Amino acid sequence: MDSVGTMLKGVASLVSRVRKLDPGHLRLGTQAPQSLAAQLDNQVSFESPRAISCTNENDPAKHEEKHEGLHYNLPLQDVKTVFPHGLPPRYAMQMKTFNEACLMVRKPALELLHYLKNTNFAHPAIRYVLYGEKGTGKTLSLCHIIHFCAKQDWLILHIPDAHLWVKNCRDLLQSTYNKQRFDQPLEASVWLKNFKTTNERFLSQIKIQEKYVWNKRESIEKGSSLGEVVEQGITRVRNATDAVGIVLKELKRQSSLGIFRLLVAVDGVNALWGRTTLKREDKSPIAPEELALIHNLRKMVRNDWNGGAIVLTLSQTGSLFKPRNACLPQELLGKEGFDALDPFIPIQVANYSPKEFESCIQYYMENSWLQHEKAHTEEGKKELLFLSNGNPGQLERLCAYL
Amino acid sequence: MMMKGGNKVLARSLMTQTLEAVKRKQFEKFHAAASEEQANIERNPYTIFHQALKNCEPVIGLAPILKGGRFYQVPVPLSDRRRRFLAMKWMITECREKKHRRMLMPEKLSKELLEAFHNQGPVVKRKHDLHKMAEANRALAHYRWW
Repeated sequence: MDSVGTMLKGVASLVSRVRKLDPGHLRLGTQAPQSLAAQLDNQVSFESPRAISCTNENDPAKHEEKHEGLHYNLPLQDVKTVFPHGLPPRYAMQMKTFNEACLMVRKPALELLHYLKNTNFAHPAIRYVLYGEKGTGKTLSLCHIIHFCAKQDWLILHIPDAHLWVKNCRDLLQSTYNKQRFDQPLEASVWLKNFKTTNERFLSQIKIQEKYVWNKRESIEKGSSLGEVVEQGITRVRNATDAVGIVLKELKRQSSLGIFRLLVAVDGVNALWGRTTLKREDKSPIAPEELALIHNLRKMVRNDWNGGAIVLTLSQTGSLFKPRNACLPQELLGKEGFDALDPFIPIQVANYSPKEFESCIQYYMENSWLQHEKAHTEEGKKELLFLSNGNPGQLERLCAYL
Repeated sequence: MMMKGGNKVLARSLMTQTLEAVKRKQFEKFHAAASEEQANIERNPYTIFHQALKNCEPVIGLAPILKGGRFYQVPVPLSDRRRRFLAMKWMITECREKKHRRMLMPEKLSKELLEAFHNQGPVVKRKHDLHKMAEANRALAHYRWW
């Protein structure tokens, strides 16, 4: 693969890093060095057309600069365990149509991978914030990172979209633990189910270190495993929010001990500090702090623990009461959020570079997704580039009906 | 005909969603089929669309002619554009009226287009009904003076 990879470098120069939230296409393209002559390009394109936009390197840990822009395959089994709830809906549709999950390796993710590989677990957890325009690939970059951490056997705490917790909630119960706060049983139980699918093997290993009392008759003793807390949350939906709170607290406490490494991945983290659309019975609005789930999540995102990393994504798409063109951390998080997250490493996710764009188009052509005759011509590609402006989300939507 | 109240944006987006739905359904079939049939499955949404509409065009139509105080349904040739118009109109009315309450237009339209492509489905049936009526009233054809 390496020799082919180098050969492809010339061809792969077109590989664009599109980490686009293309539904279903995460492509990892390997970029071959451009040093190869054009003749080799022609040869290569006949021998292994798939290799131009795809690479065989399926382990995110080994992705390097040279893989930039190429697509790598995620085994479907992994996808079911690692991402029960994390993929954007259009990407999930694409995955279903092509029967494969391919992700593109892009620079922001490579940068983050590099930082994660060199983290010092004795220091407090560092926060990384992925930001960028709408549709550039923040969520899929996050998914790439999560896959990497899953392969490295970290414990993954993935909240697919924090905005879902602050809007459209059917039942809000007053919390049993703290009278001022509100519980969201449905969202909490759904999240617990998905958490269980992702982290099966850790649940029996981690023991809780405190006694928790659910109600007069049920309590959980010190020393029992985290799996039991999760089960309790799933079966007794009323206590699901409290179960989530316990899980978060215990994980935070125990990650410093070094038994496991914790990755906190939150998509749409600006929901934690904005406003909610939920109202009490007397129609007065609820602030995010009054939701128990949000309160616990905020504690999780503070960097007063060590032994892991926190990767966050801002998102304007699901955000409430924010203008459409707001994409910078200051605008989306607001003063409160920005201060709370203050020392963080911002990573910008941009539109496709020409190489990544080419790679994306190549991937589509390999799967014969572009059926329109003119889409295969040079002018067609130029038109697509112009119409989408290199924006991964727009390109995906355009190609869907071509 | 898809457009209501001049909302071209909505009409356009409905059409693109329909084409996408058609394409995804065909891809599903393609992946599920064995390799011999894969060559027969058409995946280009545009060809499917054009072919489906062609299959729905009636060849002959009926016109009400007033003779001796009564209106007779007389079989009459249709021009090209009238045929295309009727095919599109039938397709759209079919999708608007005969669907389940919560089914969305792109979904229903894609289903009807695929059925029409294979010469099945309610729209093609309506075309056949029109042809049969025209055949039944063949005797009245001499009432036509053009």
